[in-house]
Amino acid sequence: MTMKYMDEFRDAELGRALAGKILDAVEPGRHYKVMEVCGGHTHSIYKYGIDDLLPENVELVHGPGCPVCVIPMGRVDDGIAMATENDIVFTCFGDMMRVPGSEKTLTEAKADGADIRMVYSPLDALRLAKQNPDREVVFFAIGFETTAPSTALTLKRARAEGVTNFSCMCNHVTIVPPLRALLDSPDLRLDGFIGPGHVSTVVGARPFEFIPKDYGKPVVVAGFEPLDILHAIRMILGQLGEGRCEVENQYSRVVPYDGNPAALKVMSEVFELRPHFEWRGLGFISQSALRLSDAYAELDAEKRFGVPGVRVADPKACQCGEVLKGVIKPYECKVFGTACTPEHAIGTCMVSPEGACAAYYNYGRFAREKELV
Amino acid sequence: MTDGLIPSCDHTTGCITCGDEAVRMRVIRIDIERELALCATEDGAERSTVEIALVQPVSEGDHLLVHAGTAIAHAGSQVAA
Repeated sequence: MTMKYMDEFRDAELGRALAGKILDAVEPGRHYKVMEVCGGHTHSIYKYGIDDLLPENVELVHGPGCPVCVIPMGRVDDGIAMATENDIVFTCFGDMMRVPGSEKTLTEAKADGADIRMVYSPLDALRLAKQNPDREVVFFAIGFETTAPSTALTLKRARAEGVTNFSCMCNHVTIVPPLRALLDSPDLRLDGFIGPGHVSTVVGARPFEFIPKDYGKPVVVAGFEPLDILHAIRMILGQLGEGRCEVENQYSRVVPYDGNPAALKVMSEVFELRPHFEWRGLGFISQSALRLSDAYAELDAEKRFGVPGVRVADPKACQCGEVLKGVIKPYECKVFGTACTPEHAIGTCMVSPEGACAAYYNYGRFAREKELV
Repeated sequence: MTDGLIPSCDHTTGCITCGDEAVRMRVIRIDIERELALCATEDGAERSTVEIALVQPVSEGDHLLVHAGTAIAHAGSQVAA
């Protein structure tokens, strides 16, 4: 069967049929909490109103899978310090520019005169370096394993092409350690996980086997179209109903169970695990982030320019940590939609469109929840 | 969501570079030596240079999942029903 991968996975009739199957699969009186790990799923759920198709006793909880949302303030400050204290071109993805540091955002630092530019890929940053051989160009790398291979390939390319004025401030994070930290959290009660789709394209579905094995929760790796997500929820409920507990791959049309070996190889060559890294709202998690390996140390911007490395506590009013852990819904945060909006974000969950708070805000969930009260 | 003067991702369609989502693109031309390909989005509205080292072999007309300028998987047109 020929698939275009778009319309077929947005078919309303099939969606309603799947919603019916979900309704058949739930036990009356039992409350189900399912976490979608990835911010991309959160975005799709609100964009397509998927939660409206679910029975009342199936609750979706938003996970920590937005790389922008989990960047701690201290790292933003480090980036701003690097950009302002050196005569460099500092590049990053668009969302990162609006993440608040302790005093300002990268956008505000740019307005104050720092040469900070938005790029769409690390390759764009390398191109800038080649176009400006007399300037140092730094790429502020963020993202899970989906994005890390892209940075790794660009660093390899920089070296192969002899581009010496290019370096990288690495903030890449890994998906398994924060999930383990979440599962160890005493205030969390979840019945299953919708596994991240495109992270799994790189790492595969296998790394999630510890969740059923060690914690007894099912995982279904899912795609991003509405039918993918509904299908994944149906599969999780199916496992729960049948007493099974395993990793299943709903997104097998794209995700190989063992991931992309070429991507894993280039990552292991260019990166190594940091002993620990601070996550916004989750605190320090050991071996949860990547830095450049010794073999690529000369391309490490932190070594080339240095950073203050000062730890900054999250704003007191901000409850991103509880949102990231799925303990509270975004609208339950004290500053949601009032002091904290996408235009003037206090917390990172409001900055990125993948962030749970921004997804709630942008798709009118706040208004709807208020009407229900 | 900003005032239009500040570069930012489009908040209505999600972030193609920062999050977990990848975009499906079609290969138009390949530079085999440099392992780069010129790719276009489904609607042809956007074109960009894409790293193809992780998904070789690639042929013109193939569909790839592209994230932050790098193809991370094939998104072929044939799948089992």
